[in-house]
Amino acid sequence: MNNRRLGKTMTYINKLALLTLCSALFAAGPAMAKPGTAAKGKEIYDKRCTWCHGAEGDGKGAARDRLNPPPRDFTSGNYKIRSSDFEDLTPNDDDIFRMIRDGMPGTAMPGWSDILTEQDMWDLVAHVKTFAGYEKPPAKQVDYGTQISSSAESIEKGKKLFEDGDRCVECHGKSGKGSASKRLKGEAGERTWPRNLTKPWTYRGSNDPKDIFSRISTGIAGTEMPSFADPKSKKKLTVEERWHVANYVASLAKNDKKVNADNTVVKADKVEGELPATPDDERWGKTAPTTFYLVPQIIGKERYFTPSNDTITVRALYNDKSVAMLLEWDDRTRSTPGDDSAGKLADAPIEEDGVAVQLPVVIPSEMQKPYFGMGDAAHPVNIWHWKGGTKDAPETASLITSKGFKEIEKRDAKEVGLTAKSGYSDGTWKVLMVRPLATAAKDKDIQFVEGKFIPVAFAAWDGSNNSEKGSKHTMTTWYWLLLKPATGSKPLVTGLVIAALFLGGLLWWARSAGSKAA
Amino acid sequence: MSATPKRMIPRLLQMALVIVGVYFGFILFFDVLLGQLIPKSLLTMYMVFVVAGVVMVFTFTEQGAQELAGPIKALVEDPSKKMMRNVVFVIVPLLAGYYTYSSMLLSFEAPVELRTIHPAPPNKFKAYGKSYNLTTLENPYRKFEKEDPAKFKELVKEGGDVYIRNCQYCHGDKLDGKGPYASGLNPTPLNFQDVGTIAQLQESFLFWRIATGGPGLPAEAAPWISSMPVWQDFLTEDEIWKVILFLYNYTGRQPRSWAHE
Ligand code: HEC
Ligand code: HEC
Ligand code: HEC
Repeated sequence: MNNRRLGKTMTYINKLALLTLCSALFAAGPAMAKPGTAAKGKEIYDKRCTWCHGAEGDGKGAARDRLNPPPRDFTSGNYKIRSSDFEDLTPNDDDIFRMIRDGMPGTAMPGWSDILTEQDMWDLVAHVKTFAGYEKPPAKQVDYGTQISSSAESIEKGKKLFEDGDRCVECHGKSGKGSASKRLKGEAGERTWPRNLTKPWTYRGSNDPKDIFSRISTGIAGTEMPSFADPKSKKKLTVEERWHVANYVASLAKNDKKVNADNTVVKADKVEGELPATPDDERWGKTAPTTFYLVPQIIGKERYFTPSNDTITVRALYNDKSVAMLLEWDDRTRSTPGDDSAGKLADAPIEEDGVAVQLPVVIPSEMQKPYFGMGDAAHPVNIWHWKGGTKDAPETASLITSKGFKEIEKRDAKEVGLTAKSGYSDGTWKVLMVRPLATAAKDKDIQFVEGKFIPVAFAAWDGSNNSEKGSKHTMTTWYWLLLKPATGSKPLVTGLVIAALFLGGLLWWARSAGSKAA
Repeated sequence: MSATPKRMIPRLLQMALVIVGVYFGFILFFDVLLGQLIPKSLLTMYMVFVVAGVVMVFTFTEQGAQELAGPIKALVEDPSKKMMRNVVFVIVPLLAGYYTYSSMLLSFEAPVELRTIHPAPPNKFKAYGKSYNLTTLENPYRKFEKEDPAKFKELVKEGGDVYIRNCQYCHGDKLDGKGPYASGLNPTPLNFQDVGTIAQLQESFLFWRIATGGPGLPAEAAPWISSMPVWQDFLTEDEIWKVILFLYNYTGRQPRSWAHE
């Protein structure tokens, strides 16, 4: 069979696999350390791990300069995820085993359990430890005391401790999205972004309170995330306090920003009267969100490998005149060129933040769409591009019609009626873009119609991260936008009529059969 | 077909069982074996053929047709089946009404797109400003596998470096199609560990696919949605041949060659 369904293939199987995996993990409990053989581990390492971690374990594999976070330098002895006491950098074998088995979400480090056996992975643990000369197990472990289970009260206490004296807020921001008040660096001098605590699927460990407790207790080695168990720290937390903070952090998860692979359609409902005029209009709260992954532009010249934005959430509404799209994404930094405090957080030179929506000029009636990267000669696209503005210039909305990245026609957004309004608050941008359903230039602008699946794609720029600009950005491939017509009562009436017809037919048949028999 | 009038299972039920069996067979085959949900429209089309075929087989002989129609006739005509009749007469119209109603509601399920994953390659293609003949094109480094294993190992290593710097983001560092950005791409990057990809292909096919990328595909493979980059823009011919060596070496597979056919 050559024909394949695109996209969400395997959803069902995946869920099943996940379920079995979860129950397997559950049944297996924590991994039990088994002695591995370093020499055997080296063989596997040389085939599978050197590409990133380097033959000498120093993190200088070929991929190094194109990954952030960079592959770990094992000679540094730093392990991010460990359960040994904060003063003892030595990880437990279990800690290393777990990262090899499960991988580190949000990085290039994959989990290996699907192609390596358990023994292989223990052998790797033994080998990897040799790079830092770890021979003995850690002398002391994290002291967990008695776990305090989550409750409204505990979460409230945790929130206070989180915010108190900017303890965690300093780096993770008030909302936990990682809008730090300073630039942070990792051990190799790379830029590190404090975790967006509202997105638990990006945690290297997990957002289980016990895992969070461990991270707060040990800190994260090789980054600026400190230990809060250290009695010398001014921001020290007791065991009990750490459980409250862990419960609070776990409660921050925002699931509408999690990608659901089955949901590939932005569904716009029809509203009577006016469309929301601002990004904060209450009606957006009642509009169904659709979230997509943003991937860096590594496809066309000039490629870009180290993004910071990772997802975009889209909502849409329309009325009989216009369509409105609300684009929302977490961006830790508001990038305003010319602004001193923004400049301090940014990689120089700072650029404007931005977002873009791409739509085909002609809504395809067959399968063929424009090339997803800015269209092609025969199939032009519209790109609506919002930029956040600088200290001296306001935000802008611009419009282009393009046939590939070489053939771009700049258009007048005002004339077409395309507008954009934005709001930034503590780590999140919201941009509202509105355009009339129909325009005068029918050969250059999409003419929206109800009830048709319209291909749509998105892009975003974080001007504080590696000066994202032009082709250096994050993006999606084609998804769908649908303006849902109000259905009215037609389907119900037709359904009833058909049911009545069937019933009539059956009765007639039974009667005529009965009279024949008589 | 035997002609014994008494059967263990009534003919009508037999027919229904065959149809239901085929229906679940399709679902099983697609969802579990091929690992993809079968598109609804495709399933409907298959089932129309299946139902037509099964009905034809079951009504092939006069007697067969009668046996089939028997229970239905009895239901309508036999006074002792009144209860059953009433039930059927309520359910059938309701089902018909509901089916009509739900098919008139606009579906918000995204349209299904079908594409050919391995389209027939062209005989000739252009890359690096010259023309290649796919029927004669060979990997210039393949011969070292036998002639000079040490040199071959070095070439594979160089191919691996190209791979990890350029391809792993999508195809994954385990070559399983699950790179860090794979889930953000549609169609998803191919899994080279799978027996259905590179193990089925010749190295020349891979060279064509890598050099010309998504946009190089013919229309039946939907080039407009493939995120596979055009690698002649970034890599040299040499690097492509080496990365091909790496793909086979890492997965432990062998390319198909003309010699075996
Ligand atoms: C595609 C590149 C890549 C490959 C291949 C790779 N890793 Fe990693 N690995 C990484 C990156 C990147 C990190 C750092 C992630 C971070 O700092 O958040 C990492 C981190 C680690 C860590 C540190 C865990 C911790 O708690 O800090 C271990 C252990 C590790 N890798 C083991 C392995 C082993 C064993 C293999 C081979 C079987 C391997 N890696 C292959 C990219 C890779
Ligand atoms: C000085 C800055 C700083 C402070 C203060 C700070 N963090 Fe962090 N935190 C970071 C950085 C940076 C990371 C990401 C490390 C990395 O790159 O893996 C991080 C990561 C985390 C993670 C993610 C763990 C994982 O599994 O991925 C959690 C949870 C966390 N911090 C909680 C907290 C809590 C709770 C506090 C306050 C008690 C706090 N942090 C204070 C900088 C900080
Ligand atoms: C941006 C993501 C991306 C990157 C980077 C990428 N690919 Fe692909 N690749 C894809 C996708 C998506 C497909 C499936 C669609 C298609 O066939 O074009 C694919 C298909 C292929 C195929 C076709 C396999 C088959 O069975 O027909 C080959 C071969 C391939 N890629 C090799 C490579 C190599 C080698 C590299 C690195 C030099 C690479 N790819 C980098 C996304 C990517």
